[in-house]
Amino acid sequence: MLTVADVSLAFGGFQALRGVGMTAGAGEIVGLVGPNGSGKSTLLNVIAGLYLPDAGEVGLDGAPLPLGRIEAVAQRGVGRTFQVPRLAQRLSVFDNMMVGATDQPGERLFDLFLRPARVAAAEARAAERATAVLRRLDLLHKANSLAGSLSGGQQKLLTMGVLLMSEPKLMLLDEPAAGVNPVLIAQQVDFLRALREEGKAIIVVEHNMDMISRLCDRVYVLDAGVIIAEGTPAEVRANELVVRSYLGQPA
Amino acid sequence: MVDFAIYALTIIAVWAVMAISLNIQFGMTGLVNFGQILPFAIGAYAVGIATELDAPWWAGALAGLVAAPLAGLLVILPARRSSQDYWALITLGFGELFRLTMLNVPSIAGGADGVTVSRLGDRNLALGLSLALLLVAYLAAQRIGNGPLGRFLRVIREDEVLAATLGRNPMSYRSTVTAVSWMMAGAAGVLYAYVIGYIAPTSFLVTDTFIVWTAVILGGPGRNIGVVIGAAILILMSVSTRFLADWSGLPSDLVANLRLALFGLVLVLMFLFRPEGLFPETRRIRDVDGR
Repeated sequence: MLTVADVSLAFGGFQALRGVGMTAGAGEIVGLVGPNGSGKSTLLNVIAGLYLPDAGEVGLDGAPLPLGRIEAVAQRGVGRTFQVPRLAQRLSVFDNMMVGATDQPGERLFDLFLRPARVAAAEARAAERATAVLRRLDLLHKANSLAGSLSGGQQKLLTMGVLLMSEPKLMLLDEPAAGVNPVLIAQQVDFLRALREEGKAIIVVEHNMDMISRLCDRVYVLDAGVIIAEGTPAEVRANELVVRSYLGQPA
Repeated sequence: MVDFAIYALTIIAVWAVMAISLNIQFGMTGLVNFGQILPFAIGAYAVGIATELDAPWWAGALAGLVAAPLAGLLVILPARRSSQDYWALITLGFGELFRLTMLNVPSIAGGADGVTVSRLGDRNLALGLSLALLLVAYLAAQRIGNGPLGRFLRVIREDEVLAATLGRNPMSYRSTVTAVSWMMAGAAGVLYAYVIGYIAPTSFLVTDTFIVWTAVILGGPGRNIGVVIGAAILILMSVSTRFLADWSGLPSDLVANLRLALFGLVLVLMFLFRPEGLFPETRRIRDVDGR
């Protein structure tokens, strides 16, 4: 589904990514690990269209993604969450969910004023889905709270819910477990596994190796902008290079 | 006294439309527009120029209604790639550019002397038209604010990157909002010209933009009824300073300046103690069966 080939990106003199290549298939959860500053989030940003790489290609389902154009990449079915959750803080949880839906005739002036029935129908469809996803995330009882009033962990769950409203093919998750309590992490793992069953491709950037081991089918290890290892979580954990650069010496 | 009340209500309605127009830009979308007087001036000058050309009254009105949103789209072009701070400067700059052009090129619309427009003779008609415009602007702003469009505008206000990752182009939404907002302000300008009967550059100063801003911040950014009340309070304060001048015997230009200082004080106090305004934006409550 996703192919990243030879992507390089420098910020001034700092080479953030050097010739990075990776793949992620439908129904697969791929982990992306590495030390801080190794380029994990930068890679996600390139895939999601936030950064324009100096070289390389990113393709989805055989067609190149429009690099550097966030909204165009999103329209192709790529969704991204952020390390620090991005939500409309002063909107309710439910309204945050609603904006995740992509079919929005009510955002066009013509339909808004002249086709109220059509707008109402789209709203009802989105509301039904939002209710279902919130229930699944165990956030329905918070539907009318302001998004900014949720705990950090709940906000991360909510960003995943917003993402799901757009029915993405590929989900890019940036540190979903950071700062989240173990109960919510377990909930996330179950949730992401269920999404894998539904055939979504998921890329997870995470430092929590326990979560990575429980969740991922394959793992890539980035160090200083280079992929130094790839394999199953167990293979990667045994890789000497990875242990030296990232995981530290085994006790 | 009745005449004065009718006049005051008419002016309140005109400025309330201005407050609504700024509210959908700033209150809902977060666009810092320091040149909202520009579409107002364009509407008024369209009437003035039409009068000079001996065109019928509706030609001037129509020209104002079309030219104001077009100017809006033009003004935000350079702001396309800029951050919020530049929006303020660009809109402020264009507003002044227009006013100074009108001031210094008398061949367009009389320069500093301005243009006299045939005033609406019937004061009740003027009031009725103003209230009708206010009603239309209010209902439109409510439909936008309470619907899916307003919801997404608020996402742009809260986090532009989030808006883009949701697969929409924030700039096209800003353009839509600007066009609607500037058309409202243009209509207010057209009406103002026919109510006052005289157009000159001194009516479209930066301070007039700030009066609209004060109304929005006093009333409650994002809340249409709030900004209408904010405008009403400010205009009432403004007209009552005239009585104050008569009563106290202070020179009238001193009182006029004191009035601006008072507006400034209102702005500062609101920022310090009640930044959400007298009537804060409400959140929509959904009926969901929580568990």
